[in-house]
Amino acid sequence: MPDLTLTPTPPLDGYAQDFAGTRLAEASELAIVAVATPAGGETALEAAVKAAYGTGTPAPGASILSKDGKARLVWSGPDQMFLLFTHDAPDAEAGVAAALGQAGYCTDQTGVWAALEISGPGVRGALERLCPLDLHPDAFAEGAAARTVMEHMGAFVIRTGSDAFLLLSASSSAKSFLHAVELSVRNTA
Amino acid sequence: MIIHHPLLGPRDAAEFVYKGDVTLIDRPDWQAEDAAEAFHDYLYLRDNPAGEHRELWFHEQGDRSWLVVTRNTLTHEITKVELARDVARERGRSR
Repeated sequence: MPDLTLTPTPPLDGYAQDFAGTRLAEASELAIVAVATPAGGETALEAAVKAAYGTGTPAPGASILSKDGKARLVWSGPDQMFLLFTHDAPDAEAGVAAALGQAGYCTDQTGVWAALEISGPGVRGALERLCPLDLHPDAFAEGAAARTVMEHMGAFVIRTGSDAFLLLSASSSAKSFLHAVELSVRNTA
Repeated sequence: MIIHHPLLGPRDAAEFVYKGDVTLIDRPDWQAEDAAEAFHDYLYLRDNPAGEHRELWFHEQGDRSWLVVTRNTLTHEITKVELARDVARERGRSR
């Protein structure tokens, strides 16, 4: 067998660009692990999450940062959440599974999502043409997280700052998603 | 059309997929004597009411939960939205 060296490549090749009022950049070292609650195991998972991350599990439509601020826990559905954290190695799931013990079912989702950070004063103007959610600060508080559809592509929208959002969409259609968002940013700049 | 998701509030109907009559929750016992006939009815026979209709919707572009939506087929007015999980449990199902 020949010696092969595989080099991981983020789905958008580390894209980053500044526009008037808006910055658009791929979050390329973001690990994503889904944690599902075993039937009847809500209390045990809550305790394990508290011990490992110093916080409770997120409420529907919300996300919360871990106590050390390094991981974001995102509500993704009934009895399920996504853990997002910066991690530059292909073993994110093992780390979360070890931290939670047997309290949750962990699935590595890192490779299937493309993550795009969008920030700046023009961010809502660019997103409102694509996103059916109400992203007004009064309706979508900091930390709010929702899964929706943008330009026919499924996407997570997570508000990470006052004018900053993290968007996740399927890595298989990452470039189409980037095209849609970038075009909207250009059109509204 | 806006569907008021019980957990997430008002969401655009484009995020959801229609999945059929709510009677699909009541899957017949496959080991019963009359299983063949029961499954025939389960699969093929539907009421087609002009008025209130209970139906299953799947939040595919959202939190992937199944909902039971009570909708008037004449006016499209939605009067009630429940989690299908809660409805199934009320009917004695374990999940």
